[in-house]
Amino acid sequence: MLSGPLLDNALGDAARIAELDATAAFPAEQCAALDAAGLPAYYVPPEWGGKLDDHEVLLRLWRDVARRDLSTIVAHGKTYLGTACVWLAGSEDQASAVAKAVLGGVPAAWALSEPGHGADLLNGSLTATESADGWRLTGAKWPINNATRADLLTVLARTGTAGSARGQSLFLVDKSTLAPGTWQHRRKAATHGIRGVDISGIAFDGARADLLGAQGTGVETVLRALQLTRTMCGGLSLGAGEHALRLTGRFVSTRVIQRKPLIDRAQPRSVLARCAGLLAAAEAAALVGARSIHGLTGEMSVASAIVKSVVPALTDLVIADLTELLGARSYLTDVYEYGAFQKLARDHQIVSVFDGSTPVNRSALAQQFPRLARAYAAETVDGSGLAEAVDIGVRPSELDRGELVLASRNGCSVVQSLPGVVAALSEPELTAMARSLLAITAKVVGLMAEVRPAARPAMAAYELAAAYELCYVGAACLHLWTAENDVWLRVALHAVLTRLTAVLRMPAPEPVDHDPLAELVADAAMTGGAITPFGAGDSRGH
Amino acid sequence: MAENDHTPEQIRTWLVDRVAHYLDRPGTEIDPDTPLAEYGLDSVYTFALCGEIEDTLGLRVEPTLLWDVDTLNALIPHLAGMVAERSGR
Repeated sequence: MLSGPLLDNALGDAARIAELDATAAFPAEQCAALDAAGLPAYYVPPEWGGKLDDHEVLLRLWRDVARRDLSTIVAHGKTYLGTACVWLAGSEDQASAVAKAVLGGVPAAWALSEPGHGADLLNGSLTATESADGWRLTGAKWPINNATRADLLTVLARTGTAGSARGQSLFLVDKSTLAPGTWQHRRKAATHGIRGVDISGIAFDGARADLLGAQGTGVETVLRALQLTRTMCGGLSLGAGEHALRLTGRFVSTRVIQRKPLIDRAQPRSVLARCAGLLAAAEAAALVGARSIHGLTGEMSVASAIVKSVVPALTDLVIADLTELLGARSYLTDVYEYGAFQKLARDHQIVSVFDGSTPVNRSALAQQFPRLARAYAAETVDGSGLAEAVDIGVRPSELDRGELVLASRNGCSVVQSLPGVVAALSEPELTAMARSLLAITAKVVGLMAEVRPAARPAMAAYELAAAYELCYVGAACLHLWTAENDVWLRVALHAVLTRLTAVLRMPAPEPVDHDPLAELVADAAMTGGAITPFGAGDSRGH
Repeated sequence: MAENDHTPEQIRTWLVDRVAHYLDRPGTEIDPDTPLAEYGLDSVYTFALCGEIEDTLGLRVEPTLLWDVDTLNALIPHLAGMVAERSGR
C-alpha cells in the first residue's frame, strides 16, 4: 500500500515549492511524482482496477501531501473530484475508459461553476442539445480547477427547464476527440493562494459530449458525488493545519528571547496546545466522516456537509491563532522555511470556498433540521454502522454507492449516540465536559426543531448549523477517546466546547491543563513524531 | 394527522397545509396543478417535505420523488397509492 510519508517525500524540497508559488507556476514535477508513486489508483474504485476501497486511506494520503504542499494536492486531487460522478452514473464502458485514463495519469476536471451562476447548480446556462449524431455543448464553465490541464471533463449542462432539479444533465467530454473550433480554454485566473494551480475555464461551441447517466439526473448525481468529495476535502485542511502546527512548534521550541525559548512561556504553550487540540478535533471529525462513507453511507448528506464546513473552519482558526505565535515569520515570504507559513495560510483560504462553500453546506444541513431534530429526540442510532465509522485504521466494508441518498433517513448517528457515550464515561473532568456537550447539543437540537425549513434559511439557521457541526466534532472526539490519546482529546474537547459556547454566546467552559499537550506537540515538531492522535510521523519535517 | 388518517382527501388537506407552511402563504393560493418549484422555492425544500412525508405517512420517499412528481394534483394520488399498496388494499 502507498504510504503517506512516501508520497510527501516525492514532493521535493520546500525551496522549490516556494519558488513555484512565487512565479505562480504549476507544480508539474510534484504532480508527476505523485503519478509515479501511484496516487491516481486511489481515485478509481476496485471494480475498475483501482484502489479506492477505503476513504480513510484516501483522506490520509491527501493529508500527507497537503502537509508538504496544499497547492499540489489541490491540483492532483481534482482528478478524483472530476471522475467521482463517473463511478456513480457512468455506463460500464464509460467507467472502464475513464478508469484506464486516470490510472494512466490523465488529469480530469469537474466543470460545474459558470460565470454569473457560481454555486447555483440549477440555473447553469451552458446548454446541451441532442442532434442526430449525439449531444453537443454550447456555453462556458469558469472558474474550473484543471480546466486547461485536464483531458477529461465531467460537465453539468442544461437539458431542460432552467431552475428545475430535472433540468440539468451530466456529460463526459474527452478533449482529445473534439473538433477544432468547437472549444477553447479560458485564461488562468490570478489567485491569492494556490497560485500555480490551473484555475481556468473552458468554452464550448457545439462540442461533442457523451451523456453520463440518464437525462435530467445531473443535479442528483452531482449532489451524491459531493457527499464523497466534500468529505475528502477534510484531508486538505488537516494537512494544512499539520503543516502550520509543525512550523510553529519548531519555531517556539527554538526561538530564544531573553535567554528563554518561547515554549517555556505560559502564553505560547497555551496557544500551541489549544491549536493542537482544535486540529485533533478536526481530525476526529474528518476521520469519522470519511469512514462514515462506508459505515453510515445513507447519512452522508449530513456528515459531508458537516465535515466540509467545520474542518476547514477549525483549521482556519488554528492558522489564525498560530500566526500570533510566529509573529513576523507568519508574514515574511523568504525567511523561516522559505515563507512556508504565509503560503499555506493563503493556500488554505480557498478550501472553505471550493466544492461547496461554508454557507452552501450550512444551508444543506439546515434543510435537514426537521429530520435531525426528530432523530435526535428518538435517539436513532445505526449501531453497527457507527461502530465501523469510529473504528479508525480498520479496513472498512465495501461502499455501496447506491446507498448515497440525497437526504439522510436516520439523521446523524454520530450525534444521536451522544447520550450513550456520555453515560459510559467515568473520569471526572472528561465526564463533566462531555455532560456539558450533551446539554448544549440538546439545546441546539431543540432550537433546530423550531426552524422553519426554507430554500433560503433564516440567519439563525446558519448559526445553529455551525453549532450542530461542533456538536458533531465533540461527539467524534468522545467516540475516538482512549486513555492513549487522552492528552490530545481532552484539550480537543475543551477547544470544541470553547468554540461552541462562543457561537451560542454562552459562558466558556472551565479551563483544562494545556501543559502536557504543549510538551507533546513541541516535541513532535522537533523530532518528526505524530502531531495529532491519528497522524503520521514526518521524518523530513525537522 | 393521526396514523389512520391516510385517505386521499386527508393526505390532500395535510399536504396543502405543509406546502403552505413552507411557502409561508395561504393554502388557498396554491394552484394544485402548478409545479411546486415555480412558487419560488428551490428544489431543496423537498428535503424537508420528504422527511415529513416519511414521518407522517410512514412512506419511504426520496427527495427526487418530489422533483419528478411536482404538483399537488400529481403528488396526492401518488402518495395515496403508496399508502394503499403498503396496506395491501
